[in-house]
Amino acid sequence: MPSPVKQLKQPARKAEQWQAYVFILPATILFALFVLLPLVASLYYGFTRWNGMSAPEFIGVANYVRAFKDSIHLWSYVHVFAYTLGTLVVEVGFGLLMAVLLNAQKPGFSVFRVLCFSPVVLSMVAAGLLWTFMYDLRFGLLNAFLRDAGLGQFAQAWLSNPRTALAAVTLVSGWKFAGFYMIIFLAALKRIPTNLLEAAMLDGANAVQRFFRITLPLLKETTLIATLLAITGGLSGFDLFFTMTNGQPFNATEVPATWIIKQAFDRGQFGYGVALTVIMMIVVGVISVAYLNLTRSKRVTQY
Amino acid sequence: MLRSTNPPQPLTHTRKRASAFTPGNIIHYLAAIMIVTVMGFPLIWMIYSSLKTNREIFANPFALPKNPQFSQFAEAWTEGNLAQFYLNSILVTALSVLLIISLSSLAAYAFARLEFRGRDALYYVFLIGLMLPPQVVVIPLFVLLRDFGMLNSYWALVLPYSGWSLSMSVYLLRSFFLTLPVELEDAAKIDGASVFERFFLVMLPLIRPALLTVMILNIVNLWNELMFALLFIQDDAKRTLPAGLLSFYGYHMVDYRLVFSALTMVTLPVLFLYFVFQRQVIAGLTVTSTER
Repeated sequence: MPSPVKQLKQPARKAEQWQAYVFILPATILFALFVLLPLVASLYYGFTRWNGMSAPEFIGVANYVRAFKDSIHLWSYVHVFAYTLGTLVVEVGFGLLMAVLLNAQKPGFSVFRVLCFSPVVLSMVAAGLLWTFMYDLRFGLLNAFLRDAGLGQFAQAWLSNPRTALAAVTLVSGWKFAGFYMIIFLAALKRIPTNLLEAAMLDGANAVQRFFRITLPLLKETTLIATLLAITGGLSGFDLFFTMTNGQPFNATEVPATWIIKQAFDRGQFGYGVALTVIMMIVVGVISVAYLNLTRSKRVTQY
Repeated sequence: MLRSTNPPQPLTHTRKRASAFTPGNIIHYLAAIMIVTVMGFPLIWMIYSSLKTNREIFANPFALPKNPQFSQFAEAWTEGNLAQFYLNSILVTALSVLLIISLSSLAAYAFARLEFRGRDALYYVFLIGLMLPPQVVVIPLFVLLRDFGMLNSYWALVLPYSGWSLSMSVYLLRSFFLTLPVELEDAAKIDGASVFERFFLVMLPLIRPALLTVMILNIVNLWNELMFALLFIQDDAKRTLPAGLLSFYGYHMVDYRLVFSALTMVTLPVLFLYFVFQRQVIAGLTVTSTER
């Protein structure tokens, strides 16, 4: 970037060189040791048979070949994509709905907004345990609610049923993060100039028309950011799955992260586990870069 | 970012205070209260369920406790070794955040204001941590920490947490440094201030609000971190709260009242702090999306 202090810079240049290294060196060492080194090591370990103890034995692409034949591994991607899509709807979609509904200066609404954000500060473990109880067959609130509403035939053990478990976990992520996206959308709503909405109102546009014709298009950029955050967060999901189901029942909620941990730490297949993380890195990296490129050209910057 | 050239003006119709009980208003409040109930009731249920007996929990999940069992909190606290988990979490989080804030503010300043060879390339390397979740290195990191003899120590969490938090912190702090006028530093330069004096005496005080924001973001993230905490600490006495809570659940799976109590004791202080510092917490947690 262009520096506006060109004339002052010249004499101090040499000194500034080594001084700058004093500033960046501590961070760089820490980053190199605990971020870069393991990342680079992964690229090598992924090609080895290795139990974590003895010396890794180079076996070429065998781990990657195995990964593409490992049906549970392949299914874990189906699950995590479904989960990510689901979280997009319940987190970003519900977050937007909440933002629009709670964006008012009426008494009590600021308290409502603060309350809706509160799940965001909790740990995934706490949220996961709480909702494990919410979903419990016998004393869970969800089933109690269904029974009280006369829908007792739908009451079930949501997390033990392979057909509902994944959706149940997705919903918890929605409960936890919808408030986060609500705040992002609220900030964006505040930036929309009110004279635009006023002009539309004078032209006779009703509230629904104003929302779809003016508000929503102006929220495009925020929606893109929110979508990106939800996608990258969803694809690397681990905490909720580990807390609530750990892949059960019958691997119906197995996601890449839980499967990788099982390979390495339960079965001692470190080489194979690393190969799976490399695949995950590529998937997450490619999707977020592709998404950024796809959306960069379409950003709304003016009106 | 969206920017308007016109200063925001209040909508005229919001100033009308004539009738609070219009049908539109009532529907609006009903919808809002429904949302708040869905979001908030699970937490309220957790709190009052922790005061019920197991028999009551099963008899009617919705009902309030007939006579609140406050002693269950003490029981969960000692039975679950929660004091130890709290201490571990506090130490790990505090040490990490201290390290993150000092290292990232130094680095961010250099990336924003100093000229040195390889600056841009190094900056992009630092951004790798924004693209990838820390989970992708958990296996080699485990082996690295084991070979360093660090497993089961606070350092097994503090160092990886700090390393992986640098990307976001450097990124945010650099953008904050860039918003400060260069003239301030030039004036100090002319007065003969060294680069260190400029950093510590001029720039650092000016980005205090940003430091607070970045601190809160890191505190909440690290306080809640699970995967590293689960795998790098296997000694129960050294566990942080999330991993400790899980192992507690593992031991007391069917003693629901006790798990409810432990859960409440782990979440209530966090919620309390959130309500006290709500503005700062919300700003800190959403900065990742607003500063992009």
